[in-house]
Amino acid sequence: MKKKLLSLLLCATLAAGALAGCGGGGSTTDTGSKSSSESKGGDSGKKQYAIVPKSAGNPYNEKEVEGFKAIIEANGGEAVVNYPQDATADAQITVINSLISQGVDSIAVAANDENALQSVLEDAMSKGIKVSCLDSSVNADSRQTFANQAGVKEVAQALCDAVYDISGGSGDWAILSASSQATNQNAWIEAMKGIMADDSKYADLNLVEVAYGDDETQKSTDQTQALLANYPNLKVICAPTTVGVAAAAKVVQDTGATCRVTGLGLPSEMAEYIGKPDSGKSCPYMFLWNPIDLGKLSAYISLALVDGTITGAAGDTFEAKELGVTYTITEAADGGTEVILGAPFEFNPDNIEEWKTVY
Amino acid sequence: MAGKSGRTINATPQNVWRKRILSWEGVLIVILAVVLVLCRAMSATYTLENVLREMPKYLAEMFLMLPMAFILMMGEIDISVGSIVCLSGTLGCFAVNAGMPFPVALLIMLGTGLICGAINGAIIVIFPELPSMIVTLGTQIIFRGIAEIMLGGGGSIAAKNADGFRAIGKSLGIVPIVFFLVIISGAIFVIISTKMKFGRELMAIGSNRLTAFYSGVKVKKVLFISYVTMGAFSALCAIFFTAATYGANTTTGKGFEMDAIAMAVFGGISSTGGKGKMIGGILSAFVIVCLRIGLGQKNVNSQVILLIIGILLIGAVLLPNISARISANKKKAIS
Amino acid sequence: MQKRELSLVIVLVLLIAVVSFVNPSFFTIDNFLDILKNNVVTLIPTLGMLMVLLIGGIDISIASTMALAGMVVGLLFKYNKIESTLLAFIIALAIGAVCGCLMGTIIGLGNVPPIIATMGGMYIFRALAYIVGDSQWAGAEALGNYKDFALKNICGVNVTIWITLLCYILFFILLKWTKFGRNIYAVGSNAEAAQISGIKVARVKIAVYTIMGVLCGLTGALNTSIYASAQPNSLTGKEMDVIAACVIGGVSMSGGRGTVAGSLLGGLVLAVIAKALPLIKIPAIAQNTIKGVLIVVVIIVNVITQRMMNKRALARREM
Repeated sequence: MKKKLLSLLLCATLAAGALAGCGGGGSTTDTGSKSSSESKGGDSGKKQYAIVPKSAGNPYNEKEVEGFKAIIEANGGEAVVNYPQDATADAQITVINSLISQGVDSIAVAANDENALQSVLEDAMSKGIKVSCLDSSVNADSRQTFANQAGVKEVAQALCDAVYDISGGSGDWAILSASSQATNQNAWIEAMKGIMADDSKYADLNLVEVAYGDDETQKSTDQTQALLANYPNLKVICAPTTVGVAAAAKVVQDTGATCRVTGLGLPSEMAEYIGKPDSGKSCPYMFLWNPIDLGKLSAYISLALVDGTITGAAGDTFEAKELGVTYTITEAADGGTEVILGAPFEFNPDNIEEWKTVY
Repeated sequence: MAGKSGRTINATPQNVWRKRILSWEGVLIVILAVVLVLCRAMSATYTLENVLREMPKYLAEMFLMLPMAFILMMGEIDISVGSIVCLSGTLGCFAVNAGMPFPVALLIMLGTGLICGAINGAIIVIFPELPSMIVTLGTQIIFRGIAEIMLGGGGSIAAKNADGFRAIGKSLGIVPIVFFLVIISGAIFVIISTKMKFGRELMAIGSNRLTAFYSGVKVKKVLFISYVTMGAFSALCAIFFTAATYGANTTTGKGFEMDAIAMAVFGGISSTGGKGKMIGGILSAFVIVCLRIGLGQKNVNSQVILLIIGILLIGAVLLPNISARISANKKKAIS
Repeated sequence: MQKRELSLVIVLVLLIAVVSFVNPSFFTIDNFLDILKNNVVTLIPTLGMLMVLLIGGIDISIASTMALAGMVVGLLFKYNKIESTLLAFIIALAIGAVCGCLMGTIIGLGNVPPIIATMGGMYIFRALAYIVGDSQWAGAEALGNYKDFALKNICGVNVTIWITLLCYILFFILLKWTKFGRNIYAVGSNAEAAQISGIKVARVKIAVYTIMGVLCGLTGALNTSIYASAQPNSLTGKEMDVIAACVIGGVSMSGGRGTVAGSLLGGLVLAVIAKALPLIKIPAIAQNTIKGVLIVVVIIVNVITQRMMNKRALARREM
């Protein structure tokens, strides 16, 4: 009997301790929750703007959050940041459900799946929450508008030109993508294939394979080695994914292969591999947009949606003060609307030193 | 001397054993109450309505916990269930999009689950030398792989006509339909495990497979039925999970197996077999779910939530063991 | 060589033969060295898992421990706290040892079933990796000289392969010819009998899990160096590969049975499968399915060959 009582007591204290601990632990590890509890306590009536990134522990996502927070807070709002447990749509559903319960004013989500969030986002919109996307979108029915980092065409065109330029206009090249299901990557790859087929300028380029590294470093390494082994005359590997391009660049640089790498990558991850053609570095140049600016754009969209400046319909305009641009919402290819941040930015040996410390 | 799990004692009379086990369920009820009170105190939005609104996704996972508890009681494991959820959801959406009536799509989902479960069960029964963990690891990769092939490049499918799924996802008042189904299934599983021969056979197999076999338990049959049931309930989980997503993708159901196992284990069902009670698993499932919802509403970092669940998992087993040791030492000192 | 290993060697040779036939570039020394190097992160923890399985336990927290150790080392370089590669390894090993020892103590002294304890550990250590990482990665540039460590070659063979080889030799000796090794087998075969015969079972358990942790620390540090990148979600799911390698290698999950040679062969089978799929040009989308089918086929073939061998052995006895 004594034992039963004792263990009962111990367990109750354990649960209580865990809960009390995370009340404190939560606010120290996540500034979002800290400010949220403060505002609840003070009941300051600040509007709450939520952002749901793709996953936790990823500097790219963190930069988006950083930009988002800066703008929201500068405009007197409160940014609620809630990371999903994994990079899956399942985990994002949990998070968005919780945000609906908290009664936030807007939700900006970088979706892990185009369709799976529909039910929960419809639920949010029916409760008057403004829903927008950034980075990668959900289907047209589940969003009001979408902060697109760069138009699919622009990205594809830039990558095609890079492949053309680096290969010298002819020869074998390959793509190393993220997973075979990644929405953005697939759109870019399709667009690249389209551009190459339409213009005879690219006729001498031969796309030998689209490999998938699942955004895992080890698998991307395996796949790159397989590409090099299978196609000895490979001239360019184009990897439109941050994990893939870094893994490919490392393999090529370490093995000293003549093949070169380009794609979309984080400057801080890629600085080691970017260099002039004769420097032994594997990547002459690559592209990306500025995730901080993307977060800022998304913040401006959330602000404008909540205060009624825009409804998300095509033709609406709003001013992004800090970016110095007045954006117009346009029709997107999927039937919804989007706002395009700008053209992708080129990182080359001349500017990489400056950018590698930024993100 | 404590048994394998340390929580129960094997060779003590029936009534003491019962009491001990009952006490764990008692503790779980207390923890549940503590969790609810504290969450309510911490978060103004932790209302019955909100909690129930957030619950369906977790309730779907509870369908997995029930047969998983059976499998764990036998000392086996099934880590392929998340993939079965994925495959079944995918096929269901394809069926709906192909214009099949909704009930037919449901039957296809259920059939998928049954077949997957039967494959697992068959391999495990035919090759008893193979540990169930490794068999289901293989099928885990295969089932999700098949879904990947079907989903193709997009990796995601949406049910074009989601009316059926929407209807399933509805609530009666503020209580979701799936809540009642989970409670009913839970009751059935409790009855099977406590009142029926099948439940006793499970326990016998978990305690000592050889003895069970020699005392006339059809070990292979019980194993096979359990895995098929697991498959069927994975399909049930898929049905209600799809009701919350209107679609499926290649990551659907990833990690569900660990969630289900954690629920069962926290409920006192030993993974080494032969121990535990269904009701404990059900209670612990609600403890974990209510806690997660509460922490989520406070925007606690999702990794910190996992940290807390990890500590609870270990603590739930460790603390009673320590207290048992302390009281045992005391007794020794007195005598 | 035991029968179990012999049947596995046959499977492995068959596998290599088929792949080499389809794509001759598979059968080159460079490719085999690549296979070894890319799978160092599976092969090293396989040794620890072998010991854990031998005492009838299991450890599913290993991938999280590796990520934590790798992350800490990466961040220390990133923020210029350390510069010495040796120090980095010592720190990683220490982190692994602490994690492993914690698991071992909970299991050995707390009588918590291994799967529960390590499942808790899996969540806790992974969460810690995220928390210390604070949404930062350590990239190639941040790692400075440290990433060059994994590029070094000794006698034409990569240094990480030498480390793996060294580990295997050490563990082979440890399990075969030392008292500690015999104690492990004794605990795994019958813990109560071992206890009665004077083996301190709890101590053996703590030691085994600590060694597992140390190997995880080593693997985490190597992973950061080999891939020149430290991320909190790295190696997710690796524990299943490692357990699969052991089981394919004939290690019993109920304890007491298994050898170093077997687990090495098991790890190699998995490594060859992973490397071969892209080389024989299986469409990317079907690679996972084929991998799953191959794993199931390999373990079933292994069981069947063993059954046949046993039958033949029995038949011989009858004569």
